[in-house]
Amino acid sequence: MAISSLSPTHRYAAAALLSLALHQTQIHQTRPLGVSLITETESYNEIGERSSSSSSSSSDSVSEDPELWIHEGSGLLRPIFRFLEIDPVAWLGLEETGGSSSAKHHIGAFLRLLSEEIEVPSSDRMDYELALSKAVDGMAMSMETTTSVSSEASTERHREYKQDLKEKILTGESQSTSAEVLSETYPLTMSEDLPVKKEELDVPGNKFYEEPVEEITLLSYQRKVAVLYELLSACLANTPEDGKKGSRLRKGYDARHRAALRLLATWLDFKWIKMEAMEVIVACSAMALMKEENPKEEETKISESKWSKWKRGGIIGAAALTGGTLLAITGGLAAPAIAAGFGALAPTLGTIIPVVGASGFAAVASAAGSVAGSVAVAASFGAAGAGLTGTKVARRTGNVDEFEFKAIGENHNQGRLAVGILVSGLVFEKEDFVRPWEGREDNLERYALQWESKNLISVSTAIQDWLTSRLAMELMRQGAMVTVLSTLLAALAWPATLLAATDFIDSKWTIAIDRSDKAGILLAEVLSKGLQGNRPVTLVGFSLGARVIFKCLQHLSQSKDNAAGLVERVVLLGAPISIKDESWETARKMVAGRFVNVYSTSDWTLGVAFRASLLTKGLAGIQPVDISGIENANPSYSHFSYLVILMDSLPLQVDVTELIEGHSSYLWTTQQILEQLDLDTYYPVFKISPARPQQERSPDT
Amino acid sequence: MNRDISFGKMGSSGNGGSSNYDYSFKILLIGDSGVGKSSLLFSFISQSVENEVLAPTIGVDFKIKHLAVGGKKLKLTIWDTAGQERFRTLTSSYYRGAQGIILVYDVTRRETFTNLSDVWAKEVELYCTNQDCVKMLVGNKVDRDDEKAVTREEGITLAKEYGCLFLECSARTRENVEQCFEELALKVLEVPRLLEEGSLMKKNILRQKQEYQAPPTGGCCS
Repeated sequence: MAISSLSPTHRYAAAALLSLALHQTQIHQTRPLGVSLITETESYNEIGERSSSSSSSSSDSVSEDPELWIHEGSGLLRPIFRFLEIDPVAWLGLEETGGSSSAKHHIGAFLRLLSEEIEVPSSDRMDYELALSKAVDGMAMSMETTTSVSSEASTERHREYKQDLKEKILTGESQSTSAEVLSETYPLTMSEDLPVKKEELDVPGNKFYEEPVEEITLLSYQRKVAVLYELLSACLANTPEDGKKGSRLRKGYDARHRAALRLLATWLDFKWIKMEAMEVIVACSAMALMKEENPKEEETKISESKWSKWKRGGIIGAAALTGGTLLAITGGLAAPAIAAGFGALAPTLGTIIPVVGASGFAAVASAAGSVAGSVAVAASFGAAGAGLTGTKVARRTGNVDEFEFKAIGENHNQGRLAVGILVSGLVFEKEDFVRPWEGREDNLERYALQWESKNLISVSTAIQDWLTSRLAMELMRQGAMVTVLSTLLAALAWPATLLAATDFIDSKWTIAIDRSDKAGILLAEVLSKGLQGNRPVTLVGFSLGARVIFKCLQHLSQSKDNAAGLVERVVLLGAPISIKDESWETARKMVAGRFVNVYSTSDWTLGVAFRASLLTKGLAGIQPVDISGIENANPSYSHFSYLVILMDSLPLQVDVTELIEGHSSYLWTTQQILEQLDLDTYYPVFKISPARPQQERSPDT
Repeated sequence: MNRDISFGKMGSSGNGGSSNYDYSFKILLIGDSGVGKSSLLFSFISQSVENEVLAPTIGVDFKIKHLAVGGKKLKLTIWDTAGQERFRTLTSSYYRGAQGIILVYDVTRRETFTNLSDVWAKEVELYCTNQDCVKMLVGNKVDRDDEKAVTREEGITLAKEYGCLFLECSARTRENVEQCFEELALKVLEVPRLLEEGSLMKKNILRQKQEYQAPPTGGCCS
């Protein structure tokens, strides 16, 4: 018999847990944890029931609601069942279980099932589990060390950048510090109840989900690794459909799977970095396998049992441990493959898959998942390097003259299975597209988007000029800006003087807005085409860059093909996006995991630029996105408000006024904000460590 | 193979009208492995005589049946649990929120009957969160009369002891199969609290629909 590290029963339980996680993740899109006021665990039942019925909108059975991720039609779950070789008769029960209301209780039960040893464990299986967990540990360790080493140097560079920028820009905006002080003593109507909300934001999540389910203690670490590894492989594998094709539209790693795995890892109390290590292991072994197989295209090889292949994958992982570093793998196997023009290979992959599929795979039917999967994975990151960085504006779409990805960081071609695309939106020099993002090390393969530099620089400079103009100076001296902004928030009109003053920004601003909308469409097209290598994407952008991202999401939501699985996380900072005129709900649906809107109520620069008339419709960059008409469990806190991370509750700590002094401070504070958001956590968090700002500050001052 | 047929029919058994019912009830089938829980359900759902032996259920199975009882249109969501020991830990989480529980035994195997009081009744007591939940004792396989190891009287006595309804039926001949579910449903309809639960779901959905104004986007999961 083929060796899997898991018995059929365990695989069944693993599949059930994934369906539960997948469904909960979808529920959290609209009803995030920690937002509804859950005082007791018991009341979750009720909420769970309601939310499941709300997201299933019209029925109490999964099979009747095709909008659900766990529904057959979304093609997210069944390929995984097939990969895990779960008997098709059990599929429906699994799907319905995933969609049932009392998720928490099911999680416990399935975890217990996972921990039980039904059959006598074979020594092979034990060895496998042990080897796998060792490999994962080793990989995680090497990833952590490389990260910390390289980050020191880049932190330094980032600091320099910050210094540079401040000297350059703050001439105008620093004048506002007096106004800032004012804002402290003079709390805006908005900010008054904010600190309270923030606590809610942090606490219930912890209270309820972050403490692992009690059954978790029953589960051995090795078992956890084995389960997650198998599920991850299943998510990555491109399992051939029996007979019919294309029920799963998109190949590669679906963002919704990643989000669900993230939740599952949280349930299992499993560090995310180790999940990332597994991703790298899978990717690299897939590359290795592919390199071994494809040139020869030997069908005999393919018939080899899939588990022995994965086992080899595990061994390759173990090599990381003994060999010392991750580079041992990527240097030896993946990198040459890429260097040899994997990007060029990418188009031909389309032909390879059918070739392999037709000959070898049909015979082994469902068992062939791993190899097909390896092709998908390899295709994933093979295509990416060439895909994204090669995407200059070859085609000019709607006046966008410049649209280009720049690789940042050191994670390229390292088998990373998640991509970060970072978009600046306030730019004084070309380097401002890239430098704000340097220095923060995470395990994403990161790209900065350079777009429309001419227009962006011109509008940014115009704003800057205006800020330093006499009128603005005068207003700032009087501390008027903050009051102006607060009256605007109260939907009053701009003072006439201000209106006139901003006229000359207007034309440039209008062009920039128009370009950002178009760049958003371009970005959406890039993503739909899979140029990021069919890997889940995290989008982060500030100012007009945030608008690019938002427009991209909107465009994705309108596209016909299954675009919901492309984007995993989104962070918008200081976004010039109207709250009432835009459909935030549809944009939200395009994001599998967290969707964060960072705003600052003292960001009056943005207010000025965005113009008075629009302000009455709300502005995401200075206000929480608070969609009315959507009622929520918590009256003070509606659907989208969890997105809102409250920058301006910070003035309570003296130093943090420094965090966002004006709109342009996003250039250098973005990283710190991102750090505090801790994107790798499944739950909405915003870490505020009072010590941090001081530490951060001391070197500069 | 027949399984696949029933599988394919799933969800469409009620001519698709998901909102076309007055109440929705959750029914749970429990009992030892091999007593014929899945056969009973299959017989009820497919409305045909079934002679093949089904493979043991893996984990849980799920079926929907629309049904008109006592002038009300009902939607029964029926969870068929695995009787096998190895899935025992699992079943516990499915008791939650059930309005009706059917305890099945095999009239030809006495131990399946004794296990009801030794094991299953205790499970129900332990895990069933619903005090008013209607329970029903069902002796399956009465078509094999000559092998009978549990008498009807014994069944009635046990049912009385636990305050259950009682029926003997045969999944193979379909004798009493429909009565089984109908009687249970009728009984559930008599309990106001359960009735409330059965309609609560629906009310919630309506309310949710009003609240949830986001236009259904086809792009999400099509």
